[in-house]
Amino acid sequence: MSLRSLNQDDRTYMQEQTAFYQLSGTTALLLLAGFYGLTFLMSLMIGKKKENVDSYMVSNNAVGFGLSAASMIATWIWAASFYASATSGYQYGLSGPLHYGFWGALMILFIYPYGRRFRALAPKAHTLAEVMHARHGTSSQLIMAVSNLLGSCISLMVNFTAAGALVSVLSPLSFIQGVLIAGLGVLSYTLWSGFRASVMTDFAQLVAMILAAIVIIPLIFFNAGGTDMLAANWGNLSSEQSDFFSTKAILEQGAPYFVAVLAYAIGNQTIAQRLFAVREDLIKSTFLTATIGYGAVVIGLGMLGMLALFVGLTPVDGDMNNIIPQMASTYLPPFGIALFFILVVGSLSSTADSDLSALSSIMMTDIYGKNMARGTPDPKRMLWWGRATMIVATMIGVVFASLRLDILVMLVFVGALWGAIVFPVIISFYWDKVTNKAFTTSVICAVSLFAVARFELLPLEGIVAVFFELFASVGMGVVLGLMTFAFFNRKIAIFVAIAAVIIAVPNAVGFLRDYPVLLSSLTSYGISAVVCIAMSWNNSERFDFALLAERVTSFQKSADTDKETSTDVDGDVAPARA
Amino acid sequence: MNEILLTAYILIWPVISAVVLLVLIVALIHDLRDASKSDSEMI
Repeated sequence: MSLRSLNQDDRTYMQEQTAFYQLSGTTALLLLAGFYGLTFLMSLMIGKKKENVDSYMVSNNAVGFGLSAASMIATWIWAASFYASATSGYQYGLSGPLHYGFWGALMILFIYPYGRRFRALAPKAHTLAEVMHARHGTSSQLIMAVSNLLGSCISLMVNFTAAGALVSVLSPLSFIQGVLIAGLGVLSYTLWSGFRASVMTDFAQLVAMILAAIVIIPLIFFNAGGTDMLAANWGNLSSEQSDFFSTKAILEQGAPYFVAVLAYAIGNQTIAQRLFAVREDLIKSTFLTATIGYGAVVIGLGMLGMLALFVGLTPVDGDMNNIIPQMASTYLPPFGIALFFILVVGSLSSTADSDLSALSSIMMTDIYGKNMARGTPDPKRMLWWGRATMIVATMIGVVFASLRLDILVMLVFVGALWGAIVFPVIISFYWDKVTNKAFTTSVICAVSLFAVARFELLPLEGIVAVFFELFASVGMGVVLGLMTFAFFNRKIAIFVAIAAVIIAVPNAVGFLRDYPVLLSSLTSYGISAVVCIAMSWNNSERFDFALLAERVTSFQKSADTDKETSTDVDGDVAPARA
Repeated sequence: MNEILLTAYILIWPVISAVVLLVLIVALIHDLRDASKSDSEMI
């Protein structure tokens, strides 16, 4: 039978059969059972005799360097990291993997000084939204909380989808089976001990991931022909792809990702949770090591995309997510494929368990603790909320992943929300004039105008385009100013920000309108900063930052103290909840 | 770019990853030892 006589589905099936090596069903099941079985056994090592609601969310606030750094790296790397980095390498050539991995890594570095400030002001915090509640009030807190609830649900769904895709491509198991196994596997070891289980298993998962990367990258490189292949196939790269300083790569990949990932680093509860859990004097070393570890693993795997470009590989169905599985299938022996399988399962599981822990903490602290229980929560009921949240979130993740919904709009929306809150959040912990109204209004304005630019609700031309380009220039100044402020004093940061705006304006006007992704992200930063500053400038009330530590305290300790007080007064133990 | 440099550019990342892994394992062993000395839990 000739290939031409087959219908499209048959041709696609045959193409996939030749492009992907398939593990047997038994091997795939054994790998998954071994992986989740071992992580479950690890979680059993955590002491459960004295249940503690604070430990469930942030451990003992004194996690050591090894566990913290490993957990930061494992959480920051999700399944999409490999695929996106490889796609970047395949599309943009030499500089492609750097424009994904390097900027992602750098943001871990840039947020740690801010993290230290948050931690110093509220050492007993569980979520960043909780600290916002103490600083501003409910609306600011809920903006943070809701954005994280949405963001973590989306992240769960993406990771479960990646599990389904991996299993269906590299084994005879179905997509749904992969999604279900990943969902149940992650929930099984995270449910009881929460964040503590997440941190402990992150270490083992990261070790597996790094070992796999150390073996896979050189193996594929040498099996593909090594240095001789590179010399012979230079012709497969366009002039832009062979330029290490490609403008196209910077404008289409590096700059938008750089701006987006800063928002992710500040806004995401999975990072904040680790910040509040690590021993305070180890924050710097933890974040520095995480920067290097994340960069090395993600850039290294992005090199597989660049190698795919060199060897002239064409992704099956034109789907860039097939690049790494195809490279693995073509150039790795069966044990290498098994390692690759574990690499992806490890990356998606470590992020998924962090998302479950983040979701449960937000529901426990920000929804139940601060709003439903009005600051006097019952620890037992709080734990119930946390575990119920994990079960419901897993169900939502599994169902949505199974339906294969297009979530791009939601993803863009959450990204916009996080981009809009970066400046107001940071400035709220340094400038005592910022008000709740300024915070909330600036975020709403920034998200609204982001949507106009991102989805081109108004045509990006004439005065409208100039308006957005001017605010995007301010956004550029805000981003660079914030990055400077992380390591230098306020005057230098303001100088850098103003200089950046002055340089950006003549270059951005008439130019940025052709890059709506970058334009909208930068506009979000610019608008939120301008509105927040303008509304706070004349405020005569000053906030006392010392209040944050008084307002943000341990839930378990508070409840125990309440119980003791009640016993002293009444001679009988009264419920902790008012 | 020279092919040798490009080869180094590709293979340097697994080397750095290995160094980071080593650092993390050593740190974990120290943390384990400290925890057992002080009879406390690591997390």
